[in-house]
Amino acid sequence: MTKKQSKATQQANMQRASERAAAIRAEHQRKERRTRTLLVSAVVVAVLLIVVAVVVAVQANRDTTGQAGAVPSGAVDTYSVAMGKPDAPVTVTVYEDPMCPYCGDFEKVSEDKLRQYADSGDVQVRYHMVSFLDRASTSKYSTRAANALGVVLDTAGSDVAIEFHNALYANQPPEGSAGLSDQQLIDLAVKAGADEQAIKGPIDDLKFQQWVVNATNDWSKKGFQGTPTVTVNDKKVGFTSAEDLLANTEQAIQEALTK
Amino acid sequence: MPWLGFALRVLVGGVWIVAGVLKLPDPAESVRAVRAYQLLPEVVVPTVGYALPIVELLVGLTLVLGLLVRIGAALSCVLFVAFIIGISSAWARGLQIDCGCFGGGGFDARAGEKYPWELARDLGLLFASAWLVWRPRSRWALDNRLLHHGTNRTLTGEPSR
Repeated sequence: MTKKQSKATQQANMQRASERAAAIRAEHQRKERRTRTLLVSAVVVAVLLIVVAVVVAVQANRDTTGQAGAVPSGAVDTYSVAMGKPDAPVTVTVYEDPMCPYCGDFEKVSEDKLRQYADSGDVQVRYHMVSFLDRASTSKYSTRAANALGVVLDTAGSDVAIEFHNALYANQPPEGSAGLSDQQLIDLAVKAGADEQAIKGPIDDLKFQQWVVNATNDWSKKGFQGTPTVTVNDKKVGFTSAEDLLANTEQAIQEALTK
Repeated sequence: MPWLGFALRVLVGGVWIVAGVLKLPDPAESVRAVRAYQLLPEVVVPTVGYALPIVELLVGLTLVLGLLVRIGAALSCVLFVAFIIGISSAWARGLQIDCGCFGGGGFDARAGEKYPWELARDLGLLFASAWLVWRPRSRWALDNRLLHHGTNRTLTGEPSR
């Protein structure tokens, strides 16, 4: 038996051996990369999940929605300023944001008409203010104006509050502006019949801010997304324009009265 | 195509970052925007509203930084599919809502004419995200240092010689 292999066979064997070694090395490297990828991914994902959890907790804490807050005395159904008899057969609720231009349009066409309905005893009209357009002004005007309405209601009663509500729309600031200043709100309220000494502090300190937050949440939870939204006996009124909204509201009032 | 991957990462990631950052300041608004779709049960609406903006921001950051691109892009796909379902179902049900995509949300009288554009945008970004799931490697990515460190691979995934 010859132990000597030919040079060609030797070379072939050596090459096979080195290929095997290279394959094992490559396999080893592949596994190492896999482990590394899994480990790095797991650590990064874990860190990001913690960040999400912390931020969710912070956001939940920043959102005061639902927390108890002072409610102005004289508020009807917790969140509304009302005119007309409480036992009127028909209830019309107008959901409005002080900053919303369509609400201003609706106020122009509807104010006198709705007052007539209220005076006749057939309808109680409720103005439910919300503040979802806070970012449409540079000073959270929606919240400040709705708070001011709460203050006027609380200190001067419904009649003065309705006057002040109408004045807010007669003097409505344009979207994107700073809105009316606190002092301008106070001046309008005094003109409507409120006592400056009584309202200045609570307007400056946003006494009913939480009430406004909860009023906005109440409106959202009822399934409404925009303003003005008008309901007649809790049924939403459809519309395409301010005039149309008033016409449909009147029709719904008549239907409710003849029922 | 390492540059295409980079460009898609910046595009999709950039959109997520903007969307997330704009929504973070007002958690209550974010919750209302989620509620407006009328798809989720009320018990989970607040949590989703609080979580979405930060998830969007983080997905955007991972994509732009190139950190775990495949996972980030997969999550991006999931989110876009969810939004496409949400917007098309709002459209189909005749809801007139602002998508709330970049903050805002709620009623929008012109929602009807905006839906097609929003869907087209989300579909495009969905495809871009899907591409990144398929081909996650690209230039200027943290992954190149973290995951593929020392493996001396080219960006196409082929071992270099």
